[in-house]
This record gives sequence, structure tokens and C-alpha cells, in this order.
Amino acid sequence: MALGDLEREVMTQLWDSAEPLTVRQVHEGLSRDRDLAYTTVMTVLDRLAKKGVVVQQKADRAYRYTPAQTREEMTASVMLDALTASPDQDAALAYFVGRLPPSALAAAIEAAKKR
Amino acid sequence: MTALLLGALGLTLSLVVPGILANADWPDRAPAAAVFLWQAITLAGVLCALGVVLAAPEELTRTSDKPFGAAALVAALVVAAVIVLRLLWSLYGVSKRSRVRRERHRLLVDLLDRVEQRQELGADNVRVLQGALPLAYCVPGREARVVLSDGVLQVLDRPEIDAVLAHEQTHLRHRHEVVMESFTAFYRAVPRPLRSRAPLDAVHLLLEMVADDAASRRTGPGPLRAALERLSDAVPLAEGVAADPKGDARRRRMARLAVSHTRSVGLNAVVTAAALGLLVLPTVILVVPWLGEALDKWPLR
Repeated sequence: MALGDLEREVMTQLWDSAEPLTVRQVHEGLSRDRDLAYTTVMTVLDRLAKKGVVVQQKADRAYRYTPAQTREEMTASVMLDALTASPDQDAALAYFVGRLPPSALAAAIEAAKKR
Repeated sequence: MTALLLGALGLTLSLVVPGILANADWPDRAPAAAVFLWQAITLAGVLCALGVVLAAPEELTRTSDKPFGAAALVAALVVAAVIVLRLLWSLYGVSKRSRVRRERHRLLVDLLDRVEQRQELGADNVRVLQGALPLAYCVPGREARVVLSDGVLQVLDRPEIDAVLAHEQTHLRHRHEVVMESFTAFYRAVPRPLRSRAPLDAVHLLLEMVADDAASRRTGPGPLRAALERLSDAVPLAEGVAADPKGDARRRRMARLAVSHTRSVGLNAVVTAAALGLLVLPTVILVVPWLGEALDKWPLR
């Protein structure tokens, strides 16, 4: 399995869980229907923590991991980033529909959440 | 005399021509050639500025004594170097910022991807975000992504989605981000009072048209038109604020998709020739005679 897929599945586990998970818990969740090394899961969690999308907490002598943002928060911030791209700063992303002015953004995202 | 002519040409290219070109209708019929023309205008403008800087001191001091001429020459070389370095530095900054931002963005869309919703879309660089806000865009780079929100999947039917995907894949395949990055870098390198957004906005729109053309060749103009219409309508806007103030960009894209598509070969050829001429002619007409004359009298020989 590609690393990207594994990272995504680890995140999904963390998002779906009500509380922070240990490496063992994530490993158990993922290795139910496949063969997966414990250390691989540990490495993936470590990488995600380094990238700042996962937060590592130490409790009862074990590390627990929790997402830095909920799925909804992260989706909203990705969309905000996509919509605020202004070509006079950088030219990071290209669009199908035109850019939105910042003032319209909050309204757009609010409206999208309500539906 | 050469410096004066180069200066006049440079000012015309940077102050007069962009305004005319940005308001013209004909670039819509040959968008790719028009992008090339914008590049030629910008580059020729820079070359004129460099030409003025190098030619003026030499021309002004031609009659005076050697040490003064030498000092003028050194000063001219320094100014020219500053112009070139400023452009390169700006390009470095813009591409680095863009790359960092894209990498972060790609990481997040990969993590948020709703795999089950895109199984049937085919391409493996497509990612689907959860959310009713209809969004379709691409994240260029070494591992490029096309991102759709499930708002898009709900609002559009399959041929329309294919048209949107074809449009975005064209941006990626043709490396449009490199063109935008260079124009952004140029914009930011120009001192503030002289800056103009006209080239930036015009080229942005023209690249959208290039991608529209490629998509419409693939799926026909119908689905693309419908997709454009639905996506722009579906984005809820705050009252009194429009994504594109005059509605101009969208109107122009729609208008050219409405007429039956005949590629204007003649116009393309003329525009391309004009762009080439702009790059070559000033150099040949103005600089070569000056260079011959200057080399004879250059003080540092």
C-alpha cells in the first residue's frame, strides 16, 4: 500500500475516534484486514506529527495521538486556502471558477456548511 | 539617440500597449498566441529598460573625457545588474512561496480525500473534498492534483465533470503555473508606482481560455459551458460582492464557447509573428548600430 494511502487511513482512524489513540490502537484498527507492521504505523504517526497535522500527547507513559484539527475544520481551511490564492502574491493554484474576494469567503464557507 | 528611442519604446510597451491589449477582444480568439505576445511585450520592455541604462551614459558622455566616461559605464553596469538581480530574486521568491504552499495544500487534500467518491472518475491525481461548496481547482507541481469538492459532484452531471477535469488537467499538462509565476514575479519586481495588474489579469484569463479550448475539444463546448454556468451560480456570494467585479472574465469565457469553434489560424500566425518581431526587431534596429558606434569609442578599451 502506498504511503499516502496509509497516512490517509491513519488520519481517518484518528478523526473517527472520540479520544486520542495510542500507536497500538491505531495499529489494531488498521491491521484487522491486512498485514501491517507496528513500526510502520509508528513511523507514519511520527511523520504526521512532524507535519503538524497530528498532535502527540504523553499520558500514562504512553504517547497518544489526536488530529490537530477536526476533518471539518481542516476541510474548511483547505477550501479557504484554495479560495484566497491571489496571483499577486504567488501563483500556487489554478481555478475553474474565478477567485473570490476575501469578504465573500467567510459567507461562502458558512453557506456551504449549512446545506 | 538610441537611448531615447529605446526609452520611448520601453515606455510604450509598459504603459500604453498593456492597456490597449487588455481591452481588446481579438486575443480571445487566439489565447495561446496572445499569452506569447504578453510575454514578448514584457520581455521587450525589460530589454528596453536595460538598453536605456547601458546606452544613455555612454551617449551622454561620448564627448567628455575618459575617466568620466568610465565612471558612467560602471554606474550603468551596476544599475543594469540591479534590474536583472531584482527580477531573478522576485522569481525565486514567488516560485519558492508557491512551491511551499502547494506542497502543504497537496498534503492536506491527500489526507482529506474521499476515495470512495472518486473511484469512477478515472484519473488517479483527482482528490475529492467533503463539502457542499462547489470547488474545482488544481494544485500544480511535481505531484500535481486536481481537487473537486463533492459540491461539484452533486451539481454537475458526468459529461460536465469530465469537462471540468479536462480543463484542470490542461492547466497541469501545459504547466500554466510557470507562466503565471513569471508574470507574478515581474509584477512584484516592478517598483510600486509603476506596477500594473493588467498583464497579470489578462494572462490569467487567457490561460483559462486555453484550458477551456482543450476541454471543449475533448468534451464539446456544451458540457463546459453548462459547468461554468452552474459552478459560478452555485458559489454563494456575500451581498454586493462579486468574484469578478465586472463579470467580465466569465462573460468572455462563455461568449467564446457559445460561437461555433473555428480556430483562427491567420490570427494566431499574425499574433505569433508580432510577438517574435517585438523580441527581435528593437534589438536589430536600435541596438546593433549603437553597439557598432559605441564599441569604437568605449572608454575601457
